[in-house]
Amino acid sequence: MSDKPKIKVATAWLGGCSGCHMSFLDLDERLIDLAKLVEFTASPITDVKEIPHVDVGIIEGAVCNDENEHVLRTMRARCKVLIALGDCAMTGNIPALRNQQKLQEVFERAYVESESTQVGEVPDSSEVPKLLTKVRPIQEFVKVDACIPGCPPDADAIWYALTELLAGRAPQWNPTNMRYD
Amino acid sequence: MIASKEMTLTIDGKMCTGTQGQTILEVATANGVQIPTLCYMKNLTPWGGCRMCIVEIQGSPKVVPSCATPAVAGSAIVTNSARLQGLRRLTLELLFSERNHICPICPMNKGDCDLQQQSYKAGIDSIRYPYLYPVQPEDVSGRYFGLDHNRCILCTRCVRTCDEIEGVHTLDIGNRGVKNHIIVDLNVTFGESVTCTSCGACVAACPTGALFDKAAAFLGPLSKCQQTRTTCSECPVGCGLVVYTKDNRVVDVFGDTESPINRGHLCARGRYGTWAEPRKRILQPMVRRKGKLAPVSWDEAISVAKSAISEEANWETGLLVTPRMTNESVNTLRQIGDHFDRVGMFVAENEAAICTTPEFSADSLHRLQNADGIILVGVDPSRTHGVIAARIRTAVRKHGAKLVILQGHRSDLDAYADISAPVVSLERKFWKHLGEVLGNSRRLVLIHGPSAMTPVGITILDRLITALNAHGDAAKILATIQLPTSTNSLALATAGIEAVEDISAWLDVQPLNYLQIVAGDEPDGGAHLLKESHVRTMLGEIDYVVVQAAYESVLTEAAHVVFPSAIWCEKNGSITNFEGQELSLRAALPPHGESRDDNAILETLFA
Repeated sequence: MSDKPKIKVATAWLGGCSGCHMSFLDLDERLIDLAKLVEFTASPITDVKEIPHVDVGIIEGAVCNDENEHVLRTMRARCKVLIALGDCAMTGNIPALRNQQKLQEVFERAYVESESTQVGEVPDSSEVPKLLTKVRPIQEFVKVDACIPGCPPDADAIWYALTELLAGRAPQWNPTNMRYD
Repeated sequence: MIASKEMTLTIDGKMCTGTQGQTILEVATANGVQIPTLCYMKNLTPWGGCRMCIVEIQGSPKVVPSCATPAVAGSAIVTNSARLQGLRRLTLELLFSERNHICPICPMNKGDCDLQQQSYKAGIDSIRYPYLYPVQPEDVSGRYFGLDHNRCILCTRCVRTCDEIEGVHTLDIGNRGVKNHIIVDLNVTFGESVTCTSCGACVAACPTGALFDKAAAFLGPLSKCQQTRTTCSECPVGCGLVVYTKDNRVVDVFGDTESPINRGHLCARGRYGTWAEPRKRILQPMVRRKGKLAPVSWDEAISVAKSAISEEANWETGLLVTPRMTNESVNTLRQIGDHFDRVGMFVAENEAAICTTPEFSADSLHRLQNADGIILVGVDPSRTHGVIAARIRTAVRKHGAKLVILQGHRSDLDAYADISAPVVSLERKFWKHLGEVLGNSRRLVLIHGPSAMTPVGITILDRLITALNAHGDAAKILATIQLPTSTNSLALATAGIEAVEDISAWLDVQPLNYLQIVAGDEPDGGAHLLKESHVRTMLGEIDYVVVQAAYESVLTEAAHVVFPSAIWCEKNGSITNFEGQELSLRAALPPHGESRDDNAILETLFA
């Protein structure tokens, strides 16, 4: 065991399906190798909520509401390197489909018109995060240092990007190691 | 012809040769230098709109689109500098930011989208520009394909294909600036369009998922499908097809760009009619029991049919086959002919006449291409031979060819005609006018269909020749093209198989006891044979009716035994097109269910 301090990592899940985190878990036995190099702090996987100061922050999902924006800005302020994990974080992707509709229509569809709803109303509480007018990718809010494309990215793509970054290199994407779908 | 002048230039330091008039892109491609493109498509007028194919010319500060810039002798071209790579990446990023390109939900993802492939090559992992997220409509009202404006990059490949290949110019661009979008006719939907022929050439040309085949959507990437080159057997033109198959089913069908006949183009019947229409396939042999058709094994169905024909030695027997039979079936039909008192092939209306003296019209498509005058007598290619109709429209619109249509009903081609006479006038004035219209044509092509061989048709042909001759030194008929309606009728007729046009007359000669009908993969299951109700009555009077067909229809309902036929994409063999070219059919799939090739069924029963 080397005495070198482990690299601290935090991950956050904004507006997305958590598929990117699932794909992260698909690293399988490589997770053991990764754990030797890094220490996981706040993450949906560890269920630690408060983001500490870390070396690497990983964001899944697009910015859909004010809570997403708050988490994103906190992560940016507390991490040295910020990685966008997956298409939603980079492009808006599926969550951004709602950008075609007005916000009121989105609410009505979700809380009133949905097939499983009998009597519904649009929630109006300060406890519930407020939706932004448009879903936006994270790089439109903060500086992003590296991207891992894919919906979700393959475990291989995640592994490649992480090992390159840990070695101090920027990942080089090309047709053999990248896809958007 | 001006002699083409050879020239040399260097591209990326490589000495390249070309001829004057070629674009930089054409010279580069011919010399094995790859330049990325998006809006460029071979055989279409260059558009120069996407800016992917930009190159640097040494000594010039500008970058130029290589698809639209003529190559100059002695110039030095650079195709892949850091500056060009940066500009291409910028272009791609702007395309992504401009519309809603959501790859995971696109039917063309995983390898079929040029935009995606180009972006992978450019290593784009994120977009530096704010996304516009514009509200864009989708149009899925078309019969066979949909248009999703979210995925459109305005490369105009569809617009140019529709204009220059199919010749109908249904598609164009509406509005200005950022509001530019592809429009159908005068901004209606595909479903409402009066000019769209549903040929699907626009879909084949689309580099993204903006235009997509509905029946193929989400069946998996075409790039992962097996491809089989075969020949369309829907009409006698004989277009080359590329059939995409996966998991034992047809995923999509495109025109074969390497076929000299259609050069990648198809009509709606060939592109979609054979696979994208819902039809009930017969998958098992059936025998009528207690008034109902019941599925049985092949062995049982064969023994039932065999015993029916062998039990009664004095039975009058007949065999009626589809004109879609392959050339290889001629041998079978000859061999088994002794088993039948009568063998015939059912053909389209008026087609028996051209089958009595079958003639192939060699080199027709090439001549049609260069025609400056086209006369149609008794044929409407827009209904029956879509690819020929496309050639006629482009000859009229691109080369200014004169078009005269003389036939019994209105046609979609009327809009392109100088003269269209649904009812032919016998007035001298009419024929004089016709002589004047065509008088200056030097490469006249006369296309006549089966109904030109009727007394009315022959009168028209006579008058036409007189009118043209009356115009002095006038028009020369370069080619006379005889265009049959049925796929392989000319070849089968040449082999001596009798063409039967009037089924009731054929049945009436002497009452039949046993009739075997080979309908094969006729799209309606052979139902058109029974379009006159008295034929159905006549069929009911026959002791035993055996039908070979791929699809359920009123014909199979009238049968005592039904054998399931293999269809076009399950067949090997050859057919002869109207030009006399022998074209190969290659099976893309094994016969579905328990169906078998029609030839094999006949051989099992009678050989």
